[in-house]
Amino acid sequence: MIYGDKKTGILVQGATGKQGEFHIALMNEYAKAVGGRGVVAGVTPGKGGQQVHGVPVYNTVKEAMHDHDIGAAVIFVPAGAAADSIMEEADAGIETIVCITEHIPVHDTMKAIAYAKVQGSSVIGPNCPGLLSPGEVKMGIMPAQLYSRGSVGVISRSGTLTYEVVDELTRAGIGQSTVVGIGGDPVIGQTFVDVLARFEKDPETKAVVLIGEVGGNLEEEGANATDLPIVAYIAGKSAPPDKRMGHAGAIVEGGEGDANSKIVRLKKSGVPVASRASEIPAMVRDLFRCGC
Amino acid sequence: MKLREYEAKKVLRDAGIPVPAGFLIRSADELIPHLDALGDTIVLKAQVDVGGRGKAGGILMADKKTAVATAKELFAKEIKGLPVKEILAEQKLTIQKEYYLSVTVDRSAKQPLILFSDAGGVEIETTAKENPRAIRRAVALPLMRDLPPFMLRELAGKAPKEVMPVINKLYRVFADKDAILAEINPLVITPQGVFAADAKIIVDDNALARQGITVNRDLSEREREAEKHGFSYVELGGTIGVIGNGAGLTMSTLDLIEYYGGKAANFLDVGGGAESERVRNAVRLVASVPSVKVIVVNLLGGITKCDEVAKGIIAAGISQKVIVRLAGTNEAEGRRLLSEKGYEMLDTMDLVVKKAVEVAA
Repeated sequence: MIYGDKKTGILVQGATGKQGEFHIALMNEYAKAVGGRGVVAGVTPGKGGQQVHGVPVYNTVKEAMHDHDIGAAVIFVPAGAAADSIMEEADAGIETIVCITEHIPVHDTMKAIAYAKVQGSSVIGPNCPGLLSPGEVKMGIMPAQLYSRGSVGVISRSGTLTYEVVDELTRAGIGQSTVVGIGGDPVIGQTFVDVLARFEKDPETKAVVLIGEVGGNLEEEGANATDLPIVAYIAGKSAPPDKRMGHAGAIVEGGEGDANSKIVRLKKSGVPVASRASEIPAMVRDLFRCGC
Repeated sequence: MKLREYEAKKVLRDAGIPVPAGFLIRSADELIPHLDALGDTIVLKAQVDVGGRGKAGGILMADKKTAVATAKELFAKEIKGLPVKEILAEQKLTIQKEYYLSVTVDRSAKQPLILFSDAGGVEIETTAKENPRAIRRAVALPLMRDLPPFMLRELAGKAPKEVMPVINKLYRVFADKDAILAEINPLVITPQGVFAADAKIIVDDNALARQGITVNRDLSEREREAEKHGFSYVELGGTIGVIGNGAGLTMSTLDLIEYYGGKAANFLDVGGGAESERVRNAVRLVASVPSVKVIVVNLLGGITKCDEVAKGIIAAGISQKVIVRLAGTNEAEGRRLLSEKGYEMLDTMDLVVKKAVEVAA
């Protein structure tokens, strides 16, 4: 497993908000089904002493850490407060910090990620659906019913497109080891390189599906840094330059980061690239068949 | 959002970076009181929100006597289809040497990236291709207020010492103004010292509110309306309207349209957890574009519920054909509602897109 397993206690920041409350219930439903610890504490400043679906709420992360063994945090607070939450968790010593929040100003994200790095924490996101290791742990908002356990790791900048691909893999009988949504913002904590490094050390993962988007060159950087067999898919081939395609990070700037040149570079590094999402399962099968 | 040149230059001036003497005018007559302050040669620069304005005839030179007439001429022009409503009138600098300076976001380093090049006045992409050794770069720790002096020395290289404080000041502008790009190209050396001859600042769209910017000028009216409704929307000009949930899935739907030989009219991501009203607004917005012949709805329900989507589509009551793919939460109920009203539904995104391309052809 990477980032966490059944034994990982999870803290939810923004526990008493609508999103936080809703997803605490879903994460703990999943934890119950797989026999994991799930969400053990929530944090909302000023709401300490309350409970959300039986989970105790604290005013600060440090208070929650005092009472519970916590290895990961999931953030649901609004954009203006999310960078602060990342730093509070890093300061308290939480190893894995998943930030679901969207629309955080990029300067706040850069500062929070730099701070977390100094504290030795890994940030997943922001603007991401979190991660799910089937049969072990769910941190975030991924729809668990689509997932099945197996040996393919998935790393993606998208949300629903990830579910689409996971659904296709599961229907084709290909299970997943861990699926990580790294987020759609221009600056994110864990990039393809970081997650691939974890997958390399993970005995459960034999191959990886990499789902990228227009903007930047993090996909190519990742593919060049690993020996794991990979199938890639890049969304946004038809995206015009200088237009932000939903995600703040999905923008072709100054001729950089367009899908076609990404695909060419990936293919040059020997990575097969699917031209449609629906082709991915068959291409993963081919990876296993040739054993390369 | 991209600031106009005069706005960017005001930001620089306020930050203590020298910029040429200049005045913003909205009619040719407004130039008259400033003529004496601008010197013998005056540069007139159209303030239009479009790139490549110089080549399109948006920058004109004039002397004191002809300046008002030249300004009139520029006000009468259209630059790449845009009317000229504002002109920045500036003194002409005596340029001895030009440099390039920018601060931007390095996605890979997750830090601010500072670029300084000895080849000023040239686009940095061009220098990177033709003369990469002219570019010096440094990444800064975003937790630091100022760049360390060694970094300024390394970036400046053999350029005059006076560029070093400008580099640090631009780095501060980048941080203080929530910029994703702060660029001075060219940064010029003149007998009077160093000046930012041109300036480009792009503010992070996620930080507009705290920068006091209420209207994002980079968006079209329809795009702005979409933002109000809580979805992201981009106009693309084709015949097939697209509505999806999630940026990646929606982009992927656009790519499939291209794959099957069609042309998408738009990108519209309704976002997570959309209720029927938001879907109705989305369908109506897409249908309001005259070129749209057919609309593809590709929804993968997670937090979004398929029955809400179905209700929204039905409530929109538009004249164009809508082809729907629904999967996930409350799928059965969503399908039942739509089939009662006779909507066409297909099981996969490949199938809906293929069908839409046929209908649009």
